[in-house]
Amino acid sequence: MKRLSDDDWRDHDFTGERVGVIADGVEAARIVPRVLRSAASVKVFQREPTWVLPMAVPVVGTLAARLNLRMSIKDPWTRRLLTPGQFGRREVALSRRYYRGLRHPSCTLVAWPVYAITDHGIRTAEGIEHRVDTVVITSTVREELAS
Amino acid sequence: MTASNGTGFDFDAMLQTIKDKQWSLADIDWDAPGAETMTDELRAKMQPFMADLVWIEHVGARGFASLATKAPTETIQEIYHYFHAEEQKHANAELALMKRWGMLDEDGSMPEPNINVKMAIKVLDEFGDGLPLTGLATLIPLLECALDGALVKFLLEEVHDPVCHEVFRHINSDEARHITVDFQVLELIGAGPLHKLLIESIGNLKLQVIVGLIVVFVPLINKMRDNIVAMGLPEQKLYNAVKRYGTIGGRGHYTQRIPAYHVLRSQAAMVIDRSHPYHRLLADPLVKLTSFVPARILGRPQAWVDEVTHEPVAS
Repeated sequence: MKRLSDDDWRDHDFTGERVGVIADGVEAARIVPRVLRSAASVKVFQREPTWVLPMAVPVVGTLAARLNLRMSIKDPWTRRLLTPGQFGRREVALSRRYYRGLRHPSCTLVAWPVYAITDHGIRTAEGIEHRVDTVVITSTVREELAS
Repeated sequence: MTASNGTGFDFDAMLQTIKDKQWSLADIDWDAPGAETMTDELRAKMQPFMADLVWIEHVGARGFASLATKAPTETIQEIYHYFHAEEQKHANAELALMKRWGMLDEDGSMPEPNINVKMAIKVLDEFGDGLPLTGLATLIPLLECALDGALVKFLLEEVHDPVCHEVFRHINSDEARHITVDFQVLELIGAGPLHKLLIESIGNLKLQVIVGLIVVFVPLINKMRDNIVAMGLPEQKLYNAVKRYGTIGGRGHYTQRIPAYHVLRSQAAMVIDRSHPYHRLLADPLVKLTSFVPARILGRPQAWVDEVTHEPVAS
């Protein structure tokens, strides 16, 4: 399994690969739409959800983001997983394609905590090893897992 | 959040322990010898019990998901995220045991829940995230004491498959941490201002919540109690398990200030005493009544119910 950190993923050819992306919501919103263009499948291991808007909306950002989530994601449980919690980041990510990407049949959202990366895949706390060919992991997450 | 939070318990250290103690279904050799110890007679007896157990863990996982939304600190929220996942892992592992023992149909799908479980799922979907922290945080350790103390011990006495014992060593170790944290959170809640506790407790007395909890959880618990006693679980063991809830809660300085704790402790005492009028006047009629509820009126449950899997590896 290949491991790509930080911006290494930008130059990588994901064609036909099963890819895992381990990132916070803001970074996932940036990475996932690009990876989905060529990968066979993408699993998004979301560390912490964030509000997402297709464009900057002043003042009512969170309210607009809530509406955007409601309109973009039909399934109530997935919507719940994508809603920032009481201690979550207030930052709003800008992406036109993140939610569309998550709705794609070859994209899966995994909200379980990641606790290890093995030679073959990503282990999450619900007891499953998710096999992928390549994992994209941000430096923050990598340091946390290493500790 | 550090060690000092009014109760002296170090939730940060507990979170680190939880992370260090993670295990995976892939760590277990599901084809190891021992499955043959499951005789046809035992299989027939254990199949409904295991199906109930998987669903209890799965519904319990959903309970922790709701608790996480109202955790008093960020560290406790992360602990609840892990507990949510761990309960799901227990359901997954128990489903994998069912598959190993030939208790699943050909496509290995999850057994259909009974009507009382379906109603519990409906209530959690509708009201779970709206239930107050005090109520949920008090209810979950009661269910865990009963599970850990009675059902699991019963299973290990009946089944001699070494893989089952290996799986439950992991599960019991997880559950011990769940119970420790559950009661420490109760201490934290109980240590808060009394007026806040009373206001929140009175706030709990919403008609829909009370009716929902009575109509759904009273028959659910009673049906399970009767099923496991009918299977041969000595009532004394169930009594000891529930008594543990009062014993551990009684050790705390602040837990006894929580009204919901006293309500649930009293209800638990009635549940285990089959001669109590609670059964004749409330629980048994509700079991009968709910058996007539058509599942279709409950609608389609949310997608979390489909997340159970017996496969250790997903691609």
